[in-house]
Amino acid sequence: MESGVSSVINLTEVAKREKEEFGKKVSELIIEFGAENLLACMQCGACASVCPLARVGFEWYNKKLIKAILIGMKEELLDDPTPWACVACNRCTEICPRQVAPFEVMFAMRRLMVEEFAIPTLAIEGIRSLYEHGHAVYMTGREARKKVGLPEKPPTTDSDEKALQDLRTILRNTKLAELGLIPME
Amino acid sequence: MPKIGVYICHCGENIAGAVNIEEVKKFAEQLPDVVVVRDYLFMCSDPGQEIIKEDIRKGLVDRVVVAACTPRTHEPIFRKACEDAGLNKYYFEMANIRDQCSWAHWHEKEKATEKAKQLIAAAVAKARLLEPLEDRYVELNKDVLVIGGGIAGIFAALDLANAGFKVYLVEKSPSIGGNMAKLDKTFPTNDCSACILTPLMVEVANHPNITLYTYSEVESVEGTVGNFKVKVRKKQTYVDWEKCTGCGACLNVCPPKARVPDEFNEGLSLRGAIYIPFPQAVPKKAVIDPDACIRCSGRWFGEEPRRTKDGKPILAPCEKVCPTGACSRDEPRDPNGEIIELNVGAIIVATGYRVMDKKHFKEFAPDSPNVITALQMERLISATGPTEGKLIVPSDIPKYLEWKRKIEKGKEAKLDVRKPKVITFVSCVGSRDERFHTYCSKVCCMYMLKQAMLLKEKYPDLDIYIFFIDVRTPGKDFDEYYMRCRKLGVKIIKGKVGGVQRLPDERLLVRGYDADLGKPVELISDIVVLATAIEPNTDLKDLARKLGINVGAEGFLRERHTKLYPVDTMTEGIFICGCAQGPKDIPDSVAQAKAAAASAMSLLAPGKMKVEPLVSEVNPEKCTGCGICAPLCPYGAIEYVEIDGKRRAKINEAICKGCGVCAAACPSKAITLHGFTYEQVLAQIRTIARKGVIEEV
Repeated sequence: MESGVSSVINLTEVAKREKEEFGKKVSELIIEFGAENLLACMQCGACASVCPLARVGFEWYNKKLIKAILIGMKEELLDDPTPWACVACNRCTEICPRQVAPFEVMFAMRRLMVEEFAIPTLAIEGIRSLYEHGHAVYMTGREARKKVGLPEKPPTTDSDEKALQDLRTILRNTKLAELGLIPME
Repeated sequence: MPKIGVYICHCGENIAGAVNIEEVKKFAEQLPDVVVVRDYLFMCSDPGQEIIKEDIRKGLVDRVVVAACTPRTHEPIFRKACEDAGLNKYYFEMANIRDQCSWAHWHEKEKATEKAKQLIAAAVAKARLLEPLEDRYVELNKDVLVIGGGIAGIFAALDLANAGFKVYLVEKSPSIGGNMAKLDKTFPTNDCSACILTPLMVEVANHPNITLYTYSEVESVEGTVGNFKVKVRKKQTYVDWEKCTGCGACLNVCPPKARVPDEFNEGLSLRGAIYIPFPQAVPKKAVIDPDACIRCSGRWFGEEPRRTKDGKPILAPCEKVCPTGACSRDEPRDPNGEIIELNVGAIIVATGYRVMDKKHFKEFAPDSPNVITALQMERLISATGPTEGKLIVPSDIPKYLEWKRKIEKGKEAKLDVRKPKVITFVSCVGSRDERFHTYCSKVCCMYMLKQAMLLKEKYPDLDIYIFFIDVRTPGKDFDEYYMRCRKLGVKIIKGKVGGVQRLPDERLLVRGYDADLGKPVELISDIVVLATAIEPNTDLKDLARKLGINVGAEGFLRERHTKLYPVDTMTEGIFICGCAQGPKDIPDSVAQAKAAAASAMSLLAPGKMKVEPLVSEVNPEKCTGCGICAPLCPYGAIEYVEIDGKRRAKINEAICKGCGVCAAACPSKAITLHGFTYEQVLAQIRTIARKGVIEEV
């Protein structure tokens, strides 16, 4: 059984929560977050046939995620790791016969999850690292660099104080700062 | 000695794939009187026919046997080839080695080859005995009968009438318009149904070439193509249509006790015993339903009225209120109505369909008033429906009607009805279901999308769910229509509903399955709309029997050939169109109606018709006048005449269809069926019995 979803989906409950708690339809939120062509989906499944997530067994890959959104599910999906596993290969966007761009739906779902503070720890670490070093994935092993005669920091934003300050200014002006997920002073 | 040419067709791989052509060819070459054997990839193609023609022109052959497909479609083609090359076209015989051999024995190639040989030998045996025959011509009556006044019948009648043909249009209801008149809007353009249909109905009524018989049914049909004799029963209306102006004064005075479910509103409201079917009815005339009438004032038609103390007659309310005297009960009326006799050359059947009632589907809570058929939904959202198009739950319609009655009488009243918030559609109810109908009703996907779209556009807050097995939208602009519906936010769920439960508050618990998520789903709905199957009308079989045309296993009228003769029947001169032939939408019904009209025109326009000389003839020398044959003839073509003071059978060639029943039954072998004589048929049978060896004559 999938995490967070009961064995029988009660559509009346789903619709009620959608209206009462969110004030907006889930599909409308997802469209606002960038998946403009969401409603054109006809559930053909072409996106799922090429999706690496579907192939390795993630539960809510593109096609199923879209269907769940269309019938108004949200709460059940927030704790799911699938959108964070998306590698943005964009194969789904290329294959989609309705120009839905399922990749955009995946990323809109990430944005929705962030709004709801439903973020995996790993993602928060990435954001922190981005703010501190200018890299979402930051390499460890500075000692090793020193040993082979390389500078401690690579010649990127990390070692360029001005660039790093510029990046932080940008980040402080994004939605991330509003949400206060990490300290940005 | 006849010189027979045998021409073997490969039919691409169709024949050659199972029958060893070379072997069959060698076999045919040694048959008696066969002088030429040839084979070709497609014998019916132009070069194929040319091979036959060339042999005839050169004088090589004077009898032709083609071993190929079915004579049903191809015999006329090869006969014409013979004729074009100067040979009497009845010196032609066909052996069906495809439908009856290669197709049937595809996996037994040796046996198929053996059977092909025998069939060819039998055809050669018959060809040796063929006689030349001459075509004859019969005069055709150019008038046409159209049965059914729905959209198909209307278009068939109008096309014929506009081309100058006289048309009789017979409709069993009091008004033409059919099921289309009940629809609110029509896909894929969402035209208002009444707006596009009503002008056509008026055109039919006013057309100088159309005689309209509504409230009438076909009683019997005799005769054949070009000369059908049809009896039509004009049912008793109990209202004098000469005087009725359709003012509607009588409708409201008919008492509540005489009210019965209104057919036009699919039972969602009641109508009086005296009624006009709908506001735009054509003709707009009232009829009295004698089963519903409670005989107000205790008097029936032609009976003396009861009188008040001062001698004034007591009249029924409808009679009293009628301004023209059309409802007068002074004169007796024959409950059987009136029989009208028509002579026509062709008949077009366009009797339409009905939708299945919800009562058959116990799993969908048919006892709940809020479970309705899609046609009922059309009435519920139509401006001429029971609520004038106001969307309320059907269980509150009685409350609405009560409120309306009070308001109309000038009383104060408060309207307290529930508006639906959730509507659920269920597809394939009775269609694609072995328990009911195996076929797809073809229009349901589109009308569910249409109704959902109309509702969602008018009431954006409505939650609409459509449960589909598959969404089938294969028509011009249809899939675009489907996408438009999806983009409105209608929730489309793949999976059929398995159960509906009536709740105490008259809402409904729907249990379905979402195949995309792989989970059962359930929801509470205010209205459940069942897309019930399109069915043949109950009396269609009866009508088909009267007309002598075929009905398929599913109960719809059967066309002569699905692809090539889609509006023809096996009976010459009778054409079919619209939903009587099978489920279809309005564009297809209209297209078929126009096709049927064109087919009738091309048959009748010349005024005479070539008839095959393959008819029976009596030899008066042999006939004993025993009287066996005449009652057996399905066409009434045999009569008895005096010849030299003796009773003898005589066959009317114009009526005979060449079925051969009389020839088979005649004990003195006095009847010859030309083209299928005793000698010819026996030669065929004997050849096959001897496994392909032809008996010397």
